[in-house]
Amino acid sequence: MSVFDPGKSSMIDSPSFSTPATRNWPTLAELRRRLTDRWVFALLLVIGCVVLTLLVLAPLYTLLSKSVENKAGEFVGLENFAHYLSSGGIESAFFNSLWVAGLSTVIVVSLAFMAAWALTRTRLPFTGWLRGVLVLPILAPSLLPAISLVYLFGNQGVLKSWLFGAEIYGPIGIIMGSCFWTFPHALMILLTAMDNADGRHYEAATALKASPWRTFWTVTVPGARYGLVSAGFVVFTLVITDFGVPKVIGGQFDVLATDIYKQVIGQQKFEMGAVVSVLLLLPAMLAFIADRYVQRKQSASFTARSVPYRPRQDRMRDAIGALMLTPTVVFIFAIIGMAIYASFVTFWPYNLQLSLNNYQFGRMDGGGWGAYINSLKMALGTMLIGTGLVFFNAWLMERTPQPKLLTGVFQFLSLLPLAVPGLVLGLSYIFFFNHPDNPINGIYGTLFILILCTITHFYAVSHLTAVTALKQLDQEFEAVGESLNASRWRVLFTVTLPLCLPAILDVALYLFVNAMTTVSAVVFLYGHDSQLASVAVLNMDEAGDIAPAAAMAILITATCAVAKLIQGVLRFWVDRSTRAWRQGME
Amino acid sequence: MSQKTQGSRLEIQGVNKFFGDFCALKDINLTIEPGELVCFLGPSGCGKTTLLRIIAGLERQSGGLLHQGETDISLKPPRERDFGIVFQSYALFPNMTVTDNIAYGLRSIGMPKAQVRSRVDELLALVGLEDQASKYPAQLSGGQQQRVALARALAPTPGLLLLDEPLSALDAKVRHHLRSEIRSLQKQLGVTTVMVTHDQEEALAMADRVVVMNNGVIEQVGTPLDIYQQPASAFVASFIGAMNFIDSSPLNGQRVKIGNRELDLIRPLPAADGCIQLAIRPEDVHLLPSGDGEWEGEVLALDYLGAFIRTHIRLSDIELDLVVDVDPRSARRLDLRVGGCICLNLPSDALHCFAA
Repeated sequence: MSVFDPGKSSMIDSPSFSTPATRNWPTLAELRRRLTDRWVFALLLVIGCVVLTLLVLAPLYTLLSKSVENKAGEFVGLENFAHYLSSGGIESAFFNSLWVAGLSTVIVVSLAFMAAWALTRTRLPFTGWLRGVLVLPILAPSLLPAISLVYLFGNQGVLKSWLFGAEIYGPIGIIMGSCFWTFPHALMILLTAMDNADGRHYEAATALKASPWRTFWTVTVPGARYGLVSAGFVVFTLVITDFGVPKVIGGQFDVLATDIYKQVIGQQKFEMGAVVSVLLLLPAMLAFIADRYVQRKQSASFTARSVPYRPRQDRMRDAIGALMLTPTVVFIFAIIGMAIYASFVTFWPYNLQLSLNNYQFGRMDGGGWGAYINSLKMALGTMLIGTGLVFFNAWLMERTPQPKLLTGVFQFLSLLPLAVPGLVLGLSYIFFFNHPDNPINGIYGTLFILILCTITHFYAVSHLTAVTALKQLDQEFEAVGESLNASRWRVLFTVTLPLCLPAILDVALYLFVNAMTTVSAVVFLYGHDSQLASVAVLNMDEAGDIAPAAAMAILITATCAVAKLIQGVLRFWVDRSTRAWRQGME
Repeated sequence: MSQKTQGSRLEIQGVNKFFGDFCALKDINLTIEPGELVCFLGPSGCGKTTLLRIIAGLERQSGGLLHQGETDISLKPPRERDFGIVFQSYALFPNMTVTDNIAYGLRSIGMPKAQVRSRVDELLALVGLEDQASKYPAQLSGGQQQRVALARALAPTPGLLLLDEPLSALDAKVRHHLRSEIRSLQKQLGVTTVMVTHDQEEALAMADRVVVMNNGVIEQVGTPLDIYQQPASAFVASFIGAMNFIDSSPLNGQRVKIGNRELDLIRPLPAADGCIQLAIRPEDVHLLPSGDGEWEGEVLALDYLGAFIRTHIRLSDIELDLVVDVDPRSARRLDLRVGGCICLNLPSDALHCFAA
C-alpha cells in the first residue's frame, strides 16, 4: 500500500494543470472548477427556459393577442369571437369536433383495451409480432388512412356497398381514419399500465374464489383505470386537433381543425384563424390539465415486492383474446394494404395494371422528390438537434442542483407543447416569426423554422421519456462522482449517457417518425424551397392526384419503417453489448 | 498491508441547518479525532444524515464552521473536500466493471495507468475481491457490492471516510460479518470515519464513540460503554437498549418516594421541581424467591428469547409494570411461571435518575 500516496492537495494542483500566478486569465483548473459551479448549471437551465419561451410561450402569446385584434392590428376585444359565433361556426365546427373526437375516443380506447388485455392476460402465441403490427399505424401520416378509406369506401371504392348507402366523406370517414392512426397511442399507454401486473392480486382473487369475470372487474380493470383515463385524454386531444384526416375525407363536414386551415389558407383571414385556434386550444388545454391531474393521483402500484403476473394456460381465454384482436388487425392490414395496392395501380379503377407511374412525383404538383428529400433533411435535423436539446435540458433539470422555482418553470414550459395543437402552433409561428420586427424573421420559410417548430411540437413527450430515464438512475451518482473528484460533466459522459442510451434511441426515433409524418404544424410554415413530403400528400390529394398522394404516403411510411428497423438493430446491439451489466437490473 | 494513512481531524463548530422554518440541526459542536470511528445514531428524522451530507458538502449548512485538519472547508464544494463516501444504495456505476468502478476516482485525478492498476489491485486484495475484478455490479451479491463501494471510496486515500447507513440494505448474517470487516479495515488504514446508522447494535459494536442525536440536537457523545451505562438523558436511556422507567417524587437529599415507599439513591438528584424519573435496565433488577425481597410482584408474562427470558412483572402495591431479563437457570431456580408471585430488589447503584 505504500506505492502510491498522493496528498489530495497536490492532486488538484498537479503540474499539468497549474500555470504561473502572474497570468490574469483563469487557469485551466479554475475554468474546469467554474464549469461545475452551481450558478453555471442554473444559468444553463435559464437559457433552456428562454429558448422554450421563445419557441412556445411567445408565439402563443402573439396568437392570443391576434385573436383580439382586427386586420389593422387595433385592439377590438372579443369582437372577432362574436363575429365567429354569429356566423354559425361555433354550432357546426366546434360541436362537430367535440362529438367526432368523443366517439372516436370511446371506440379507440375500447379496441385498445381489448387488444392490451389479449396481449397481456392470455397466452396467445406471436405476441411480439402482434404488438409490432398493432403499432404500425404510428409510422404512417394521418393522411394515409383517409386516402385508403377513399379507395375502400369512396365513390369508386371496392367496398362502397358495405356502407348501405351512407357517405364515407364526412363523420364516418373521419372517425374510421382517426381510429386507425390514434390506436397505437392508446395501445401503448394501456400496455404500459397493464404489463406490470402484480400476480399476487390475481392469486388472492383466486384464493377468495372469485370467478374470472369478477376478477376481471375487480382486479384487471381497476389496475388499468389510470391508463384508460390517460389514453382517453390523449386520443381525444389527438383527434380534435388532427387536420389530415378531416381534410382528405371530411367532405362538407366542418371541424375546427379544417376551419382554421380554411380561414387562413383559403380566405387569408388570419385573425379569424387565431379565433378558431383559441377555440381549439380550449378543449386541448382542458384535456391536458385533466390528464396531469389524474397522473398526479397515480402512484406506482407495482412495487419492488410485487410478483410479475403470468397468465395461466386457458384455451377458452386465448380464443377470446384472438377474437378481440382480429378485427383490429384486419382493419390495420386492410388500410395499409389498400394504400400500397392503390399506389401501384396505374389508373384506378379503369386500368388495374400495376406500375410505378404514381411514384414519378416529378410529373405532379406538390414538390416531387425534392419534397421527400426536404422531409428527410428536416426529420434528421429534428432528430439530432431535438434529441440533444431534450436530453441536455432534462439532465440539467434532473441531475444538477437547481433552484426549485426554476425547475418548476422549466417543467411547465416543457409540458406546455402537449396542450398546444399542431395547427395552433404553426399559426402562432407565422404570427411570431413572420413579424417584421422579429430580428430572426429571416428563418421564416426555411427548413430551419420547420425543424424548430417540429421539435417544439413533440417536445413534451420526448422530455417525459428523458426525465423518466434520468430519474431511474441512482440519485447519488453525482455525489459519489464529486467525492471521487469527478465533475458532473464527467459523470454525465461516463455514467449517465451510457445508461440512458436506450431512452436516447427511443427519443430519436420518436422525433424522426413524427417529423416525417406531421402535417398540422408545418402546413402553414413551409416555403417554396422547403416543401415537405407529408404536405405534398395533402396538396396532391387536393389537386385530385390521389394515387400519387397514396404513393407518397406509402413512401413516408416505408421510410419510417426503415428508421424503426435501424433503431431496432441499434437497440439490439446496445442491449447485447450491455447485457452483462444489465443482468439483475429490473 | 502495513501502510497507515493518517486520517484527518474534523471539527464541527456551531453548525445549524434550516429547511424553511424547520430546524433540522441546532448548534452542533463536535470534534472527531484522527483515525477515530464515530457513529451518528438516532431515530429517522433526527438530522444524522443531514449532518453527514453537510460534512461532505452535499448540503450547505445554514450557519457554523467545519474544519478538516487545518483547512476551513465550511464553504468548499464537495469536489475540493477530501473524503470518500459509501451510500446506502452504494451507487455503484452499473455500466462499469468492479475494476473501473474502483479506478474511477483515480482516473479523475489523472493518475498514470500503471499506478491505477497497482492501486486497484491493492484495494481488490484489501476487500478480498481479486477474483471478481472484471464482473459488473449486477453480477455481485449485496455484500460484494458493498465492498466494491468501500474500495471505490478508499481508492484515492481520503483522509475522511463517510458511511451513510452502509449495512442496512444487507441481510442480517452478511451485516454481522461486514460489520467487523469494515471495522478492522478502518483500524488498519487509520482513516477517520463517520458512519450514520439507526441500528444501535451496529453503533455500539463498531464505534469508538457514539453520537446520539434526536430532533436536530446531540443528546450525548461517548464510548459505547458510556452511552449504555451512563445515559445522559431519558431519551438516550430509552433509545439504547431496553429500560424500565419509574415515576417518583424527590424528598430531601438523595431520597425519593415511589408510591408510598421511600428509597435512597447513591447518585445526586437532577435539579427538578416536580417529578423525577428513575430508570433501571431489565438485566439489573434482582429477582428473589417470594417473601425475600423489598418489592412484591406477580408474573404477568414470560417471553422466551433464547439466551434469556424476558419477564413481565406487575408490582402490586404501586401498580407498575416492570420488564426483567432472567437467565434460564435462575428462572428455574425461582420457579418462574405466569401468575406466580415473585420478589425483587432495585439495586441503588443500577438506578439512573432523570428530570421528568
